[in-house]
Amino acid sequence: MSRVARPSGASNRKAVEDSGASNLSHSLHSMSLQHQSPSKPARAAADSSPEVCQVCKSSRYLNQHMRFLVNPECYHKMCESCVDRIFSHGPAPCPIAGCKKTLRKARFRMQTFEDLKVEREVDIRRRVAKVMNKQEVDFESLRDYNDYLETVEEITWNLILKIDVEQTERRLRAFEEAQKAELNPNAPRRVMNAGPDTSTLSDTSHVILKKGGTQRRTQTASSGNTPDPSGAEERGFSFKGLKKRKVPEPEKAFDPWGGYSVDALYYSVKDEYDHKFFAVKHEAKFYASGYKAPEYYSHALRDAFGGLGVFLNEEMADLKLNAIDVPLAVGGGRDVEMNDVF
Amino acid sequence: MGMSPAVSPRPNPPGSSAPVNAAKAKSLVHLVHNKTAPSPSLASAATTPGGPDADEGLAEEMNDKVANQFAFGPRLGEGTYATVFRGHYRDDPSKLVAIKKMKKNAEWQDGINLDSLREMKYLAELHHPYLIELIAVFTTKDENINLVLEHLPGGELQDLWQDKTIAYGGADVKAWANMLCQAVWWLHENFVLHRDIKSNNIIIAADNSLKLADFGLARTFANPEADMTYNVITRFYRPPELFLGSTHYGGCVDMWSVGCVIAEVAIREFFLPSATDLAHLGVITEVFGVPTEQDWPGLSKLRFWKEQMEGLPPKRPQPLSWWKQRMPLIGDAGIDLVRGLLTMDPSKRLSARQALDHHYWTSLPRPQRKELLPKKGGKEGEKAMGEQLKRVGGEIESGRTDKVARKLDFGAAR
Repeated sequence: MSRVARPSGASNRKAVEDSGASNLSHSLHSMSLQHQSPSKPARAAADSSPEVCQVCKSSRYLNQHMRFLVNPECYHKMCESCVDRIFSHGPAPCPIAGCKKTLRKARFRMQTFEDLKVEREVDIRRRVAKVMNKQEVDFESLRDYNDYLETVEEITWNLILKIDVEQTERRLRAFEEAQKAELNPNAPRRVMNAGPDTSTLSDTSHVILKKGGTQRRTQTASSGNTPDPSGAEERGFSFKGLKKRKVPEPEKAFDPWGGYSVDALYYSVKDEYDHKFFAVKHEAKFYASGYKAPEYYSHALRDAFGGLGVFLNEEMADLKLNAIDVPLAVGGGRDVEMNDVF
Repeated sequence: MGMSPAVSPRPNPPGSSAPVNAAKAKSLVHLVHNKTAPSPSLASAATTPGGPDADEGLAEEMNDKVANQFAFGPRLGEGTYATVFRGHYRDDPSKLVAIKKMKKNAEWQDGINLDSLREMKYLAELHHPYLIELIAVFTTKDENINLVLEHLPGGELQDLWQDKTIAYGGADVKAWANMLCQAVWWLHENFVLHRDIKSNNIIIAADNSLKLADFGLARTFANPEADMTYNVITRFYRPPELFLGSTHYGGCVDMWSVGCVIAEVAIREFFLPSATDLAHLGVITEVFGVPTEQDWPGLSKLRFWKEQMEGLPPKRPQPLSWWKQRMPLIGDAGIDLVRGLLTMDPSKRLSARQALDHHYWTSLPRPQRKELLPKKGGKEGEKAMGEQLKRVGGEIESGRTDKVARKLDFGAAR
């Protein structure tokens, strides 16, 4: 759509100003925006000069610093002072005749694209892309990923062309919830339909004057959950070949030893030994300089028996290194006697 | 020799038995390299009377095999004793090494000089992620010894704390302190004294881990009947017992140095700077007070106590509040550790094992993850990269179209 709409917006600007939208853009316009009444396009065309506010009819000619804002609920353009005047005291219906959308001041913003249809499509795509954010690696095969992309595009176009909006929105939200729940399984989840309370609640649940986002979501989600409790409906969408998300393992406690340990496996060190060192360890030159007898014991024992932990056959089998082949081969079985230089 | 410090008992690296085997394999390779390494003349001198020619041939062959694995690159630095080159594996130029070519010096015409001998002897057998790795040793035609070491591009720890453009916090200090303590613990477990621990000798690897290097003064723990020299360890990091002429010390001398390194990283300046060896004991007592026979039993029996300390006016150590004000970065637990490491009496000083059991490591903040540790040059490099990226395509900000979306990016709001 954007490909169609943008050239018409850019190159045919003069035509648009003269006679309203081109045929194609007009048909899409009527499809996508809320201009239902037949009289409206004509009037809209007459007033759609970007210099005049359609609500208060003041023009840029009189007020040079006029800014036009739109609300993504209905994309009707109005000037900043109108927005201030109408919506400062809370949500109010859109002042454009025929549009009954409730608008909030906070959501009014400058439009990014000249063509409001493009603006709307970009908004919808952004919203969908935020929820449907799977990547190719999340799928088992490229085929599954492509199927997923097709579904995403279908959802997007459903929303753009207003086909099954209610149901699509509901499924999208359910999917988002399911994704969040998967990401953070410990987060407290809103319990929809908490048993007997529902009957009493349902009487009053439709009487909501100012629908906050959360309230609305609860309402629609709960209404969406009741008719079809099947898995696909609960999760919004289910995709073939979507890999289960692996939960990252919680970080382990810090090990100051880095996982290393030194344990004597083949001997044990006693606290005291009957050794001539016994006689000297009470000398000041030892205890005053931090020379520790147990260190000496274990050192001596290590030197004597540490080799018991070395199994040459095992090591040779593990090695398979060329460096080892050399002495064996060249030595020809004879023990290669090389005095240790140390 | 007789000492093979690291071979046993089995070092138990983290994980399954597979790495054990790898470690075993490595240590064996080292032994093999080690034996090939010394100059052929040495090897031949020690051969059996049966066939000196054959054995010399074997030694040369093995040496060539090792030497041919590596290619020399540009020269990185030159010192009095050695020249350092960058090198790489011949079969994989992306695997870098540092080749330390020892110079022959006048005093040691015959044989290998003591520093490189010590370096080879201990590094060949010690394997730990926070100790510099000796990959191989070989000789070249001029009978120079070449040590092939791990390539560590991160620079020294000292450069890092001295560079005030780099900001770091308590978690970073804790991570570095822990790596250092692990390295020293591993040395001491294998009965090796480093005897020159200082932030100059701690190098930062590509993965931001610290590597303890320079084993030129290392030795094994001495037997009680043997004297050790007290003239070791760079002055700023030398413990008081060495100034008092102790000849029978243990791992505690290294732990004092570790304490000094952690303290200086925490305050970003030398912790105990002094101008001369004689003045340093004064600097130490300035902070830790003048020790008495009660807090350091046997003190007065030490060799230089009479000339260095006898008759000094009594002085109390600095209070805890002084430490808290000096080292806010490491918190109370860190200060407790540093004070434990910097205890005057070496027998009360924390050993490496006790240091790793300290509650500093388990208290908050958790030590920084390795990949998030600050590193030298990273910021400048990033800044330069940012500048470069900013100018790409010769784009000029006109101001007119800046606010207009140039591209439809549907995923941008994610």
